[in-house]
Amino acid sequence: MDVLINLSLNGLATGMLIFLLAAGLTLIFGLMDVLNFAHGGLFAWGAYSGIWIYSSTGSFFIGIIGAILTGMILGIVTERWIIKPVYGNHVQQILITLGLMLVLSEMLKVVWGPNQISAVTPDYLSGSWEFGGIIIIKYRVFIIAVGLAVFLAVQYLLKKTKIGLVVRAGVMNKEMVQSLGVNIQRVFMFVFMIGAGMAALGGMLLGPYSGVIYADMGMEFAILAFIVVVIGGMGSFTGSVMAAILVGLSGSFMAYYVPDLALAANMLLMAVVLIFRPQGLFGAKG
Amino acid sequence: MMTRMLSNRMNILYLLVAGFLALLPFVYDSRSLLILLSQVFIFAVLAMSYDILLGYTGIVSFGHAMFFGIGAYTVGVFMKRFEPETSYFLLAVLVTILLTAVVSYFVGLLTLRLKSHFYAMLTMAFAGLFLVLAEKWRTVTYGNDGFTFRVPDFLKDRTDFYLICLGSMVIVFILLRRFTNSPLGRVLQAIRENEQRTESLGYSVLQYKIIASVVSGVIAGIAGILYSVSLRFVNTSVFTMDITLDALLMTIIGGVGTLVGAIIGAGIIEFSHHWLTELAKVHWIFERWIIFFGIIYILAVMFFPMGIVGSLQKLKFRKKKKLEVSVESEAVSQGDS
Repeated sequence: MDVLINLSLNGLATGMLIFLLAAGLTLIFGLMDVLNFAHGGLFAWGAYSGIWIYSSTGSFFIGIIGAILTGMILGIVTERWIIKPVYGNHVQQILITLGLMLVLSEMLKVVWGPNQISAVTPDYLSGSWEFGGIIIIKYRVFIIAVGLAVFLAVQYLLKKTKIGLVVRAGVMNKEMVQSLGVNIQRVFMFVFMIGAGMAALGGMLLGPYSGVIYADMGMEFAILAFIVVVIGGMGSFTGSVMAAILVGLSGSFMAYYVPDLALAANMLLMAVVLIFRPQGLFGAKG
Repeated sequence: MMTRMLSNRMNILYLLVAGFLALLPFVYDSRSLLILLSQVFIFAVLAMSYDILLGYTGIVSFGHAMFFGIGAYTVGVFMKRFEPETSYFLLAVLVTILLTAVVSYFVGLLTLRLKSHFYAMLTMAFAGLFLVLAEKWRTVTYGNDGFTFRVPDFLKDRTDFYLICLGSMVIVFILLRRFTNSPLGRVLQAIRENEQRTESLGYSVLQYKIIASVVSGVIAGIAGILYSVSLRFVNTSVFTMDITLDALLMTIIGGVGTLVGAIIGAGIIEFSHHWLTELAKVHWIFERWIIFFGIIYILAVMFFPMGIVGSLQKLKFRKKKKLEVSVESEAVSQGDS
């Protein structure tokens, strides 16, 4: 029983981290039709800058704020300078964002050195609770809580506010929204900023969770996030959170029960989903 | 008429370049240059096979390393398990062709009905499965560390191997040019331009896409064979995303949909790779040469979106058009007078 709960909590926490990365990816894809391969780079930059600010100021909270701001600023720069020139051409988008990804992760090594950096959990989040033999690690609960809060906040933004309405309409039909007099460029930038901020937050939270951060973590998690986006259905926000949890849980259970297959777990999951539902779990048909 | 003459002139140019490259080892004896050029030829084969998918059929695959890796491992396993003799080498080549054909057929059958992004991700997943297989099936692959092996005598000499790589590249180039100019290749290009229209013309798009993926897969397998023979070593890195990305970048930088472009792209990437690593001795920043690589990609997309060969062709096309227009206007003005 305690094993099951532990595995579930672990899976949920990983799932939430992947969700933070995948949500931005799927919003950007759904709205702008852009495959952003540099998204993992923003994630890694969030982690490095956040951990750096955290260790130099001593405040975890300021670190989180710093990570989100770094992500947002980099996001705006990416949208303005890198993605804008290649709207509408997938092959060029893939190449240019991959180029940016390389630059971003190598720049990390220039600024903070090529070795991995260790990250510690702040005192008030370290340790664990114990309920009748079941040990619950506080930091994992914290990640799940933050992930849920972000999910609910974005859901509120999308469903209840005017900007959310515009974004949702934009995902459905970009030209229509533009012809109604909405400055779609500004909506793009806003969504990109939010997505980048979420990715950076995910990177920052990953630091104390895995204990170390390293420059190549961007690419590693970006692939996971892409898998999640594909499983959930491209452009579907609900799909991405469901798929992230699914991937997180299957990863943690497979690692415990069938460790030999753990590496392939996500790939298998994606292959099975796509063969039976080519548009993803929550994707619109066609 | 004009185009035929032009292509004849291009053929002569290709012949000259190939002849020059074939004679190079006998006049200029530099071991490192020979190795580097062999590497260029090997990756040119891979990039050309990728171009069949990306440039001629319009499919973005993220799993091309799968076929490259199958070739690399097949020849490695054969040379390690059996004797490093010519007969076994030829057998390994045959097995590679068979394996890559079968795998690309079935992967194509499963994945090619998906839309572009989903296809790309699913091929990546399949390549990922092969990577895991290579890591876990230790009795055959020795896991992550890989293994060294001996090669048959005729592949041992660097100059001979250089010539074999060059020959392979030339043969693949000729074969693929024949393939892309055939009626079948034309259908592939029609699919690239407009899939729905091709389908409504009565072509079974899926079948043609599978044919393209099988051709491309088999040739990537051959590139894999050459690659692992050149190192006399194989490990799981042949299945990684890096190989696919290299093929993608070479194709795009050289010019999508032009086989020569793939060759030029392979040359540029391999040489700049080599030079930027060398520059590390000059200044520490060049140890992080990947930054410059990334910047090159970004600039290439911004300023050469059609690749080098594509941009040149466009330039030539424009010039020709201008010439025609001026000739026409001259004719008109003469008619007036």
